[in-house]
Amino acid sequence: MLMHVIHMGHDVFKANDKLAEKNRKNLEKHGVFSINVMGAIGSGKTTLIEEAVKALKDRYRIAVIAGDVIAEMDASRFRKLGVPTVPANTGKECHLDAKLVEKALSEIDLEKTDLLIIENVGNLICPVDFKLGEGLRVVAVSVSEGDDIILKHPMIFKTAELALINKVDIAKAVDVDPETMKQDILSLNPTVPVLLTSKHDNESLKTWIEQLENGIKALKGLQK
Amino acid sequence: MHEYSIACEILDQVLKTAKLHEAKEIKSVTLELGQLAHTNPDQLAFCFDVLAKESLAEGAELKVEMKAPTIECDCGYSGPVKKPSAACAEEKLQSELLEYISALACPKCGKNARIAGGRELLIKTIDIEI
Repeated sequence: MLMHVIHMGHDVFKANDKLAEKNRKNLEKHGVFSINVMGAIGSGKTTLIEEAVKALKDRYRIAVIAGDVIAEMDASRFRKLGVPTVPANTGKECHLDAKLVEKALSEIDLEKTDLLIIENVGNLICPVDFKLGEGLRVVAVSVSEGDDIILKHPMIFKTAELALINKVDIAKAVDVDPETMKQDILSLNPTVPVLLTSKHDNESLKTWIEQLENGIKALKGLQK
Repeated sequence: MHEYSIACEILDQVLKTAKLHEAKEIKSVTLELGQLAHTNPDQLAFCFDVLAKESLAEGAELKVEMKAPTIECDCGYSGPVKKPSAACAEEKLQSELLEYISALACPKCGKNARIAGGRELLIKTIDIEI
């Protein structure tokens, strides 16, 4: 028997990156502004998306990809709002990947879409390593996760392009200072916009919705 | 926990290459894993071992070489991060947290730098018998 060393040099994550790049080009070609909403379980991702859909659906054409172990639960919430929604079941996986998004994109009429919202699986760890082809990486946490949640998950905040600290209306009840959480995010990622939100505070929701509208306008070249 | 699907992908790629070289057996697989990737080498080895049963890679050793992060900074610095040192920490912070945070600061100017390397998972080589 002969022993041989074969050099492979195959990057496991690159395969996903390449597919993500394909998705990104596909979305850009159709002028679709897309966001990947990542975040902790129970941080309010679905609710924040619902609020954005309600506020923007009369002015923009929105589609949603709902990713979860059982995606239909959230998907039905978005469908009730009258926007095209594709559930992306991850099965036993803890994150969406570019392949699942590619498949979901084939079920969406991109010609008739201005904003694509992708809700990732509730998890602050696994989605970090899997790009989807999104235009904006959003991370949501809520005060009820505790104020040490940020530094325990540095990579997701380091690579985020928009961060939301949600449920700030209950911060006192859970003994958390949202400002501390904000400073922790900025210590990891000094230039990322950090929004403090609550579904009971319309003004705070407006700051989140504004970010999405700015993204849509920037992509369409309407912003002055 | 996504080590299972990563192990599936590694096994797929390894078997493809081994068959191409008409291997009778795969003795070992060497990976290079960035310290910033969210993948656990022990869990990965366990999943690989289970998946490889009754294939050319059954019993193959999965060797994982850990790769330290590298950064790029606006000041022009490009290279490794400063090694975390528990001694200089004011409080007893976990060494893992130190490692992560030190990976973000430029050792030259102290600014928050871009991550250039340390997030990858590479199948470097396989040892086969033909």
